[in-house]
Amino acid sequence: MALLDTRKEDIEHHLSKYPDKRSAIMPLLYIAQEEYGYITEEAMQEIAELLDVDITHVKGVVGFYGMYYDKPKGKYLLYICTDLPCALRGAEEFSQHVCEKLGIQPGETTPDGIFTVENVMCIGACHRAPVMQVNFHFHENMDEEKADQLIEDLRREVKATEPYRSE
Amino acid sequence: MADTVKITIDDIEYEVPAGMNLVDAAKLCGVDIPVFCYHPKLGYAGNCRMCLVELGTPRRNRETGEMELAWFPRLQTACTQTVVDGMSIRTRSEKVRDGRRIILELLLSSHPLDCPICDKGGECPLQNLTMEHGPETSRMYWEDKMHLGKHIPLGELIYLDQERCIHCARCIRFQRLVADDPVLGFDQRGRRQRIITSSTPPFDSIFSGNTTDICPVGALTTADFRFNARPWEMVQVATICSHTPEGSNMYFDTRPDREAGGRTTIKRVMPRQNEQVNEIWLSDKSRFVHHYMEHPDRLTRPLIRKGGKLVEATWEEALEEIARQLQAAEAEVAGIAGGRLSNEDFFAFQKLIRGQGSNNLAAYPARVAGAEFVAQVGVGVGTNFLDVGEGDAILVVASDLHEEAPIWWLRVKAAAERGATLIVLNGRETRLDKFATHRIRYAYGEEVATLNAMLGSLDDEHIQPEREVEGLEETLRHARGFEASPELAAAAKAFAGAENAILIVGGEGVGAETSHNLAQAASNLLIATGHVGRPNNGLIIVWGAANSQGAFDMGIHHRYGPGYQPVEQPGLDYAGIIAALKSNDLKALYIAGADPVFDDWLMEEALRATNAYIIVQDMFLTQTADLADVVLPTQSIAEKEGTYTSGERRVQRFYQAIEPIGESKADREIFLTLAQKLGHGEARTVAGLIFNQDIAGAVPQYAGITYQALARVEKQFPDVGGEDLYYGGTSYPNRHGLGVQWPVAAEDESAGLVVRPAEAGSRLTATDSALVVVPVTVLYDAEPVMQKTQLLRQRVPAPYAALNPADAARLGIEAGDMLEITSDGHAIRVMAVLDETAPRGAAIVPRRLQAQGAPLAAVVAPVVRLERIGA
Amino acid sequence: MAHILLRELDIPNIKDIDVYLAHEGYQGLRKAIAEHTPDEVIDIVKASGLRGRGGAGFPTGVKWGFVPKDVFPKYVAVNADESEPGTFKDRQLMENNPHQVLEGALICAYAIQAEAVYIYIRGEYWDIADWLDEAIEKARARGFIGENILGSGWSCEIYTHRGAGAYICGEETALLESLEGKRGHPRLRPPFPASVGLYGKPTVINNVETLANLPYILDKGAEAYRQFGTEGSPGTKIFCLSGHVNNPGNYELPFGGETTLRKLIFELGGGTRSGKPVKGILPAGASGAILPATDEVLDTPLDYESLRPFGSSLGSASLIILDESVNMAWAANKMIHFFSHESCGQCTPCREGTYWLRRLYERLERGEADLYDVETMKNIAAQMLGKSICALGDFATNPVLGTIQHFGEDYEAVLGGDGSGDASPDEKEAAATEAAAD
Ligand SMILES: Cc1cc2nc3c(=O)[nH]c(=O)nc-3n(C[C@H](O)[C@H](O)[C@H](O)COP(=O)(O)O)c2cc1C
Ligand code: SF4
Ligand code: FES
Repeated sequence: MALLDTRKEDIEHHLSKYPDKRSAIMPLLYIAQEEYGYITEEAMQEIAELLDVDITHVKGVVGFYGMYYDKPKGKYLLYICTDLPCALRGAEEFSQHVCEKLGIQPGETTPDGIFTVENVMCIGACHRAPVMQVNFHFHENMDEEKADQLIEDLRREVKATEPYRSE
Repeated sequence: MADTVKITIDDIEYEVPAGMNLVDAAKLCGVDIPVFCYHPKLGYAGNCRMCLVELGTPRRNRETGEMELAWFPRLQTACTQTVVDGMSIRTRSEKVRDGRRIILELLLSSHPLDCPICDKGGECPLQNLTMEHGPETSRMYWEDKMHLGKHIPLGELIYLDQERCIHCARCIRFQRLVADDPVLGFDQRGRRQRIITSSTPPFDSIFSGNTTDICPVGALTTADFRFNARPWEMVQVATICSHTPEGSNMYFDTRPDREAGGRTTIKRVMPRQNEQVNEIWLSDKSRFVHHYMEHPDRLTRPLIRKGGKLVEATWEEALEEIARQLQAAEAEVAGIAGGRLSNEDFFAFQKLIRGQGSNNLAAYPARVAGAEFVAQVGVGVGTNFLDVGEGDAILVVASDLHEEAPIWWLRVKAAAERGATLIVLNGRETRLDKFATHRIRYAYGEEVATLNAMLGSLDDEHIQPEREVEGLEETLRHARGFEASPELAAAAKAFAGAENAILIVGGEGVGAETSHNLAQAASNLLIATGHVGRPNNGLIIVWGAANSQGAFDMGIHHRYGPGYQPVEQPGLDYAGIIAALKSNDLKALYIAGADPVFDDWLMEEALRATNAYIIVQDMFLTQTADLADVVLPTQSIAEKEGTYTSGERRVQRFYQAIEPIGESKADREIFLTLAQKLGHGEARTVAGLIFNQDIAGAVPQYAGITYQALARVEKQFPDVGGEDLYYGGTSYPNRHGLGVQWPVAAEDESAGLVVRPAEAGSRLTATDSALVVVPVTVLYDAEPVMQKTQLLRQRVPAPYAALNPADAARLGIEAGDMLEITSDGHAIRVMAVLDETAPRGAAIVPRRLQAQGAPLAAVVAPVVRLERIGA
Repeated sequence: MAHILLRELDIPNIKDIDVYLAHEGYQGLRKAIAEHTPDEVIDIVKASGLRGRGGAGFPTGVKWGFVPKDVFPKYVAVNADESEPGTFKDRQLMENNPHQVLEGALICAYAIQAEAVYIYIRGEYWDIADWLDEAIEKARARGFIGENILGSGWSCEIYTHRGAGAYICGEETALLESLEGKRGHPRLRPPFPASVGLYGKPTVINNVETLANLPYILDKGAEAYRQFGTEGSPGTKIFCLSGHVNNPGNYELPFGGETTLRKLIFELGGGTRSGKPVKGILPAGASGAILPATDEVLDTPLDYESLRPFGSSLGSASLIILDESVNMAWAANKMIHFFSHESCGQCTPCREGTYWLRRLYERLERGEADLYDVETMKNIAAQMLGKSICALGDFATNPVLGTIQHFGEDYEAVLGGDGSGDASPDEKEAAATEAAAD
């Protein structure tokens, strides 16, 4: 299914925002990521054609920005800030806890395909560290207990929304 | 002369052209500012930071109102500066030297330092600049270096070593700015940034090889040359591209090769700078196709047909036999010569045939004609596309220049980008359209009518011939009979009103007759608007071969001899030769360096039917040679010396690079030996003597040109890749000659100009079941030389016809279907490709993707689906 | 004092457009349009002395004045990329009082007669972008955005554009590249965006906080604004307090006067959590040089210039507080990691320098480094300075040079082995001479 079939309205909305359609590349990449979980080769090709640019350019944009993924990742992308301000408030230990709980290293995805953990640079919540984002939504003033609970909740949510299958 | 400004470099004042880049200006003054990312052909990117200098610019003191020099506290990049009057720089201070040293140390901190096994070693700007400006040792720990991919194919032709890349982006910029194939880009960021390509096919550009030249390190290398030889072991032999008509200057880099049993072989082809011809660029065909020259399939001995079979023979035997046949044939002989022969070859060839008392001479390919118009109104001496820009105009008609003459495409496009008015007339969209100011579509068949209509649309104000013109009244009256759309009229006005105007006529969809008329119409338009006889004004014809211009100059024509002098008794042209073969009115046919059977089934039919004695002279056993009575092995351009004349009429020399393959002989030598045997006169076989004496004597246009003059060089600017490898190019300097353009008649102000009504054909129209089948030229075709070059062969597409999707739907055709197209009793099979740029009612069929794979000129022909191949 | 910027602290629910309107909301824009020509608006902003809050402190009115009058279209780009470690003020402004930001952006757009405003908001502020979109719709419904705004004949659109995780896109020209759909490689200057910006057209780029000041300035006048702050740095500033303090968060205070680090750390921040003394302060996130917590530093009234004598700057006023428990070489490592991760890769000094420094810090962390390596770090950083295309390359030198200068002993504490490493005597001598030279 092409993006234009499933997300035509959103795509048109973004195209209408800019005098030069190439500017829509970033919102369109987000749309692809929402649709497929990551930015597939086909999606890049489709976006290249929609915007009249070479696919090399699309790849280069995907590769430049940290929030785009050209490989499958977990259904829940957990961003844990371990940058200096957060590290001063225990973020590194917090990240370690979450990783141990999930049995993976930062940057990895759980074997069931549900969680990916990434230690990220400052995300603007230093005053509420430790902080974690789940698919770019903030969860602030975290501690180990809250994290455990959150992970349980998310797991349950996946079960409830079967038939989710991992890649 | 342009305005100049005064600048000071290291306390010495210089005068330099205003508006010049500071790095270039310094170079002009003899001061080298080291650069990596800056390149005079690409402009600046300011990313390598190697060109740091201390910079002072004149500013007005707020208090005193006096101008004074304000020095920037920080070092500045010279490459991002344009010179202004009073600017001052320091390039040798401690601060500058420190700056250079740290930039080099930083660059080397990621570099693998594998110079001993690097193809660029010995001609590497990074290596050179490090010697000159770099630190002696690196403080980087070896094991801390970034490790990245080392042998990454970007396509079949180009390899990337990510570790060696210094991120100057020259390759990316070349592909985007110069080649308009933006298929290279950066991926990732920071130290993990790297070059990628994602096009299909990979690195999809016919200019890709140039990136390996401008790469200032060994990050980009060609599949051709990788680990093949060291630059300093090679001998550079100047040559000319023998495949397309731009006359690109290049070098064969040669070296004795152990694998070839000690023979000297061609290791690589490099551009040889000629700012008036190809600057520093080559198409990939020019660069990589040379492999056929040393292919094992090359003919090494003469072949004579015995008992129906071609068997090896001695030269003695073969030449005796040919002489006997020619003697018997007397004037009933004809000659066809292909456009890759040299001027000396052509001259000798026409001498041989004319010595028989025959004017039956045709240049091959025969579909592009009109050289006599070039002789009248060809572009003026001194024409240089680099000088064409704002205020000037270029009109391109019936050509997909990107495929027919890639270097002209580059240069015409660049002129348009500099502001020249670009008018593109064609039946379909081509890659030049994007840069055009006026894009006009005609119906195939109406090529001449369109040019006529342009002329007819001009009012008196725009009809401005600069002198007396014969036939103007009548021609204008005729032209006014053609209707011009408002767009066409506007284009005509823009063309007429331009300061300088060049008209380029191509061969798309047209045959010999239309091509001739097109040249007439073009010539009319140029003369009537006063765009002749001066540099950057006049006609260029996009010939079908590299030295077609030379063929006509030397008199390979049924109606005129050397120098366009009419013959008393015109002979047979190409079509006439075919007819005479069939009716057995010819006793012998001599085909040199041409494979007409590959293109033309009528020729095949004629050769099979005729009783005439067929002599074929070629490098390979071509389809034409296969039908011959005798086949003579001849040499490629690499094995001989001589001259070529480009489509801009620049006569240029090439030199012998390798020993002849087998017993092959130079074409001219064979012709002259025969001529002597036949008693046509004394044979002078040394190319330089033929040029200086025979050609100079017989071709008035060449009278003032000597072989020696062709070898003359002068300083060119920008001085790319001189001894110092200043701009980091490889083997650009031209030490072997820039060539000489010959003057056309219109350049003599007292010469009369003649116009004649150009006969126009009529529009071809599709019917319910038939389409207008349009033969077009593609660069990567399946001609024998491509077949013998493994590297390029992979890019040659399977034979196809491009149809407009609407037509396809109407005819029930899907992409991938096998189609049969029948015209003139001959059927071809091609794959259907659906393409929006194919006009309604047309089937665009590339020539020469298979033997006899396209009609010679556009025709209306039934297109039938044979089988469905696709899913 | 009532807040000028963090007004939600005084007026609950001001993010609601009705509440905002009930409290002088869009009054500044109305006045700008009804009472002033665009040029007059620029003059008022010049008179207010407002300086950019994105880090460089450039006078906002002066920047607007550079925009050519006769070139159209023109654009405004709102810099909401907020990615400097320790910075979270723009976020609070957009979350809690979005209309103030929109109004500020519209005032700017009116002043330069822009036809569109793009809010470039970092991707991690995903929800905030959605909320901004909602606020934009509400403002449009009231006639503040769109065709013929408030009957002025001037039309302007506002759009949000999400970044995608690249700090460099906060740099204004990288931001423009990114907005145009490209990789965020900063542009060479000149030309400056005011003349050649988005799509090659004149463009003003301002930080969210900068713009949030404008409704007040236009409503109350430049004089009223100047009652806060100092002559050189008028108005108030949001200070982002993070790290080892008890009460991290955003605090809005006037520049200068009683606004000191001591006040922020001990009074508002409640001192360190551990009770240990403060060791160092990063006044401008990772980008500014570190300050040792001396009395002199702690008691300096804060404005744009006052930290200069200490070799640092206020930047975006993201104060990261580090107590005695921190080894500053560790902190520098963190920051170098950040910069090498965020270097765009375009220019040599930054791309190679940050990577090399990072490798050296990793050695240090592994206990494999020696004095020679520390000298190398210092030398590379010093040599990188002033050679890159954008300021990131310069920023990256601060953590190295600042921590080595003020906390050299922290490095010695983590040197490996006998401290001599494996450098040859020659190399060491060379390093020593070089070090002496700079
Ligand atoms: C590497 C780098 C990152 C920056 N990041 C931001 C940022 O996140 N937000 C911001 O407003 N300005 C940032 N800036 C400053 C902008 O380039 C620019 O000066 C500012 O947006 C101008 O707005 P102002 O005049 O309102 O301060 C950054 C600058 C650099 C060099
Ligand atoms: S300093 Fe760094 S971020 Fe800035 S342009 Fe250079 S490489 Fe990119
Ligand atoms: S920065 Fe000037 S040559 Fe690279």
